[in-house]
Amino acid sequence: MAASTQYLQQQVNTCVSIGATYEGRDPVLLERMLPFVDYIEVTLETISEVHASRISLSSEVMSEIKNIGKAAKIIVHGVGLSIGSHEGCSPTYLQLLDDFLEQVDVAWHSEHLGYTKVDGEHLGIMLAMPKTEEALDMVCERVTAIQERYNLPFLLENIVHVVPDSPSDYSDAGFLNALTDRTGCGLILDVYNLECDAHNHGFSIQAFLKELQATNVRELHVARGVEHNGLLLDVHSQLANTSTVELAQHVVRQSGGNAQVVVYEFMPEAVPGLGHDAIAEQLGRLRTAFRN
Amino acid sequence: MDLATHQRKLLGLFRTTYQVCDDDDAYIRKVAESKDLAEGRRNISLWRIYVLERTCTLTVNLLRRRNLLGEALSNFIAKNNISPFRETQAPAFLEELTHHQDHLIASVAQFELALMKVREGSPHSYVVTWCVDPYSILNSLAKDAPLDGDVIEGTYKVMISRDIPGQFQICSAPREDGMLLEGGS
Repeated sequence: MAASTQYLQQQVNTCVSIGATYEGRDPVLLERMLPFVDYIEVTLETISEVHASRISLSSEVMSEIKNIGKAAKIIVHGVGLSIGSHEGCSPTYLQLLDDFLEQVDVAWHSEHLGYTKVDGEHLGIMLAMPKTEEALDMVCERVTAIQERYNLPFLLENIVHVVPDSPSDYSDAGFLNALTDRTGCGLILDVYNLECDAHNHGFSIQAFLKELQATNVRELHVARGVEHNGLLLDVHSQLANTSTVELAQHVVRQSGGNAQVVVYEFMPEAVPGLGHDAIAEQLGRLRTAFRN
Repeated sequence: MDLATHQRKLLGLFRTTYQVCDDDDAYIRKVAESKDLAEGRRNISLWRIYVLERTCTLTVNLLRRRNLLGEALSNFIAKNNISPFRETQAPAFLEELTHHQDHLIASVAQFELALMKVREGSPHSYVVTWCVDPYSILNSLAKDAPLDGDVIEGTYKVMISRDIPGQFQICSAPREDGMLLEGGS
């Protein structure tokens, strides 16, 4: 079968919404993106400001987000909750989330399944949790508390393995399956992170997807970073590879219709290099690949 | 190894505050020797640079031109408990550099920090002393252009305030009566 014919056939079963990250203060970019997206994903840490040592949501960016109105649904994706820290989640993040949800209706909110601080000391990077019974019990308890606190769907995302995996009670997919079974939370599957793990650690994407209960996947992330010293870095600085989009299509099909959106992630620092046109074209290509 | 011990040892390895010993299990020894750890540390620097080159452009440009960015960043990461909130990073980084032994780096950092405060609504006025004419330096750094080799030495002051059009004004040394000799923003 010709590759183009195969690609068109794949489209039939991969109809989901498209989303993009937006961190505010670039209304021209937002205008360029809105015709292509159904969801705008906001990261609270990057729309916050510091005034007199207090961190709060930027009123300027909040106005922008409120003005999006019906042009796109809003979803929140955190990086600072640190749900996997042994000592507890970040109260600062929860306070920001409280403030945001008081002002904006969101479809759901999400975090990374990892930790960024230990005993109050920031790592400067996000690390994956050991997949042990102790870690699973702790995270499940916190997920349940968050679901009760906000009464909104809550999703957790697989993150890249920065260091080699530690001895575990579960496989990666097994840990996610147990987490979703116990709490009812959904998953974000970052397929570029899977590609990074495959490249950097010999991780088997095929075995992972075979074991994963993909019907729990509500959202997918596509992105692309750079390679350095033979390692793929998860820095969200490039346009997504075709292989990443095809992997996302595969997971959407596997989700049995439960996946709702594919989000293209890029960091604001990458915008000048990428350019607004290229970002809009990327979203247009995703729309073609996932909407028909 | 319980979760708290696991996380504390990895934190120590990333921040180079923990030395692996014979009692450590095979996993911690494996991480300590891995190229992943070295690359992870480099990633931490990379993320900081991404944020700082956008939020304190002038100072980062000057450090780059002095080949001191890596050293300044390493010191900053080692000494500070850096929050993941991006907005907190630039003020902390600039504050650290306001006492740099290179007078020009100290002046540029003080200037950029004061400008940041004023733009965020600070009602205070700030004065930064320079040992060279700030105009050509700031002009080059703002345009990311090479620094002019023929800088004019002398004592200059830059006033930063929300009451000044453009928010700052470059002045030469004040006369004994306190009046400013010349200005321009």
